[in-house]
Amino acid sequence: MKRINLAPVSFLALFFGGLFFSKMSVIFVLNEVITRFIRDAVLVLALVLPIIAGMGINFAIVVGAMCAQAGILFIIIAQINGIAGFVSAAFLGIGFSAAVGYLVGRCLNRVKGKEMIATIVIGMLANGVYQLVFLVGYGTVIPAHNREILLSTGKGVRSMVDLADYRNILDRIWVVELGDVTIPVFMVLLVLAFCSVVAYFVNTRIGQQIKAVGQDTDTAEVLGIDVNRIRITVMILSLAIACLGQMIYLQNIGMFSVYTAHGNSDIISAAAILAGGATIKEARVRHVILGVFLFHSLFIVSPQAGQHIFGNAALGEYFRSFVAYATITVALILNLGTRTVPPMQTKVKDQ
Amino acid sequence: MTSVLRLERISKSFGPYRVLKSVDLVVDAGEIHGLVGENGSGKTTLLNIIMGHPAIQESGGYSGDILLDGRRVEMKSPQDAIQAGLGMVHQEFALLPGLTAAQNIKLGRENLHPFARRLLGESLAYVDRARDRAEAGAILRRLGIELDTSIKCGNLAVNLKQYVELAREIGRSGLRVLILDEPTAALDREDAHRLMPLIQKLACQGIGIIFVSHRLEEVLEICHRITVLRDGEVVADLDQGDGDLNLDAVARAMIGRSVVEMKRKGNSPVGTVFMKFQDFAVDMPGEMIRNFSLEISQGEILGVAGLSGHGKLALGYGLMGAYPTRGRVLVDDRELDNTCSSKVLAKDICFLPDERRCSGLLLDRSLVENIVFTAAQHKHKFLRLHLGPLSMINWKSSREYARRSVEWFGIRCRDVYQQVGQLSGGNQQKVCLARAVALEPRVLVVAEPTRGVDIGAREAIFEALLRINQERGTTIICVSSDLADLKQICDRIVVMYEGEVFAELSSHSQDVEFSLALGGKRLADNAAS
Repeated sequence: MKRINLAPVSFLALFFGGLFFSKMSVIFVLNEVITRFIRDAVLVLALVLPIIAGMGINFAIVVGAMCAQAGILFIIIAQINGIAGFVSAAFLGIGFSAAVGYLVGRCLNRVKGKEMIATIVIGMLANGVYQLVFLVGYGTVIPAHNREILLSTGKGVRSMVDLADYRNILDRIWVVELGDVTIPVFMVLLVLAFCSVVAYFVNTRIGQQIKAVGQDTDTAEVLGIDVNRIRITVMILSLAIACLGQMIYLQNIGMFSVYTAHGNSDIISAAAILAGGATIKEARVRHVILGVFLFHSLFIVSPQAGQHIFGNAALGEYFRSFVAYATITVALILNLGTRTVPPMQTKVKDQ
Repeated sequence: MTSVLRLERISKSFGPYRVLKSVDLVVDAGEIHGLVGENGSGKTTLLNIIMGHPAIQESGGYSGDILLDGRRVEMKSPQDAIQAGLGMVHQEFALLPGLTAAQNIKLGRENLHPFARRLLGESLAYVDRARDRAEAGAILRRLGIELDTSIKCGNLAVNLKQYVELAREIGRSGLRVLILDEPTAALDREDAHRLMPLIQKLACQGIGIIFVSHRLEEVLEICHRITVLRDGEVVADLDQGDGDLNLDAVARAMIGRSVVEMKRKGNSPVGTVFMKFQDFAVDMPGEMIRNFSLEISQGEILGVAGLSGHGKLALGYGLMGAYPTRGRVLVDDRELDNTCSSKVLAKDICFLPDERRCSGLLLDRSLVENIVFTAAQHKHKFLRLHLGPLSMINWKSSREYARRSVEWFGIRCRDVYQQVGQLSGGNQQKVCLARAVALEPRVLVVAEPTRGVDIGAREAIFEALLRINQERGTTIICVSSDLADLKQICDRIVVMYEGEVFAELSSHSQDVEFSLALGGKRLADNAAS
């Protein structure tokens, strides 16, 4: 008997409720959801491998996001424009992610079983380092090549940086209008390509080893798998995917608030994948796709719905964070409850 | 014959405790080499050293040499050992419950799609699941098992897990030495018997086999040579050719004295019927009880026998409410509420499950704490200042009780403050039993009490069971797949067949009657046909 996954079903119900109360048009919601799908899905995808490897939700994807931002900032400082700049920023960001991912992986190998809380704290620490580099370092240690983004005090990067050069640089490619619905075909394909790569990866020998490590580190070790190495690999991959995800996110937004853009990427992504039916022990690529659609459609309608029900516009933002945190909390409680599978017996065949 | 594995002067200490003292062991190609010893004699540590278990490196490594095909090798990690052609079937299974049987069997050597393999290399090529399933199925078929290999291992019954574990090891090419650590512990007699020719066939292919088992008859049956460990030292190296290889000689070498089989001093003081099972049914998958109706008298020792899958294990689990049940259990003519295990415990009914891992020992706590835990929680014993939930443990009486238990059950430990997690498996089993006895239950249901324990411990466990039965009048229901066990201590034995009580025999019944009953036949049927 297949267990019905409660999370996606309840999210669908909530969405229809929200849609009804918000009085928004379906077309508008659909356009918004597509935009958010291409903007956020890759970030969410970064969570899949750590969950399979038994490390829970990797809240350290904010670190990957910061790596992307650091990459972009350095490229802006070096004043490389257009697609070349974007691509080199991506490479730089991946380089940072690999280095940081290695360090995070090393840390997490020392706190097996408590990865989630560790990644939250690591994210906070990394935030401090990131701020130090660009708030203090730029103009002092890092030469202030680009004076446009320099604060008037002569050191530190301004808190808002315009990304006009890179805005929608990928989104613009191959856009199809279907009636009132706009579909950026290239971006949708790109996101799906990322999804397929991860899905493929899970079905390789390395993927099998990751699964084995996720099941039981002790047993995997005894079976001859280098558990620590696998976990570090997973961390590096996760941060690199998060980094690319944040690149896509930023070029879609087109504005870059240097010190806060990465802020909620972990929480929103975690909520999305959990809404899609993943648990902290099991995640599949389809949970990402489903989750992004479900969570963001609710995310779009909930402020309006809140406003119409309670007649207060200020409730809008409140509702969003309420939805995100409520998702995570409920999903964690639902998932952490022990679920024992009774042993099944197949008779031994008589010879 | 040439030796494939040679251990020279292997020593190992855990902190100040020397658990292995200069052990030598030689395994020839094609040889089945028995390794026996009491619980805690160092067998597991020795095997862990050979397999490069991480716990060995973390606790400071070992000294001595391991030679494989004459070359000195160092086992720093399980990868080293596996690469070198060593394989091990683990007593407590090294299976990943969330992966399917096929994935477990083919782990690390999955079939790959050839095109992707050429393009992306071995680790990044796509795994060919269909072929994995087929090959895993074929390996299992060689073991005489027909199994849908797409079932997740967590859902398999214990005996099938054992076969999957074995299949994983023998499916490897380049296997030189196979270590079997208690491969028959999870199997009933019939299955265990089926395994022996398979092991012999493997040996014929030139694989060296180290066979570890507490069932000495098996060891004697198939091993060419037997090395006996006692307190971390090799005390005997017996050869099948010597002629003087018999059960008694091995047992004497193991424990340093002859084993006196526990004999019952007459029947138990059987009182009146106080417990009745009426149409009791337990919906435990694979071990379903359809109809169990039986009356149990105060102070008797009841044996429950049956092949695996016929429901004998479900009795205890059902009584404690671990699975849905139907029908009624009456205790003193009042219906037993088995919706929650604490309510059953409050009625002085205690169950000791067959899987040690489920028995809930607090592994990082001391023997004392473990032994008195349940009694203090549920029976308010070993307490001072009786303040309800705020009562304090009376350490003095607890310690004394624990020391007495250690003596009674022959638990091998440094002292009663040692962590239970540091004890060997068989000794943990004894701690479980000591904890149950501390409750002074009226009814004690034990499942497979002697699985995985050595012969000395087996007698100690029986002695303890008989003693609480004699002295305290405890009613004991003993579920076991080992008929010899049951015949040794039980007043009467019921045989389960297809979820129902099929026959009720006494401990004096003939073996043939038992084996017929286990297969669902009666003596009369057989005579008629």
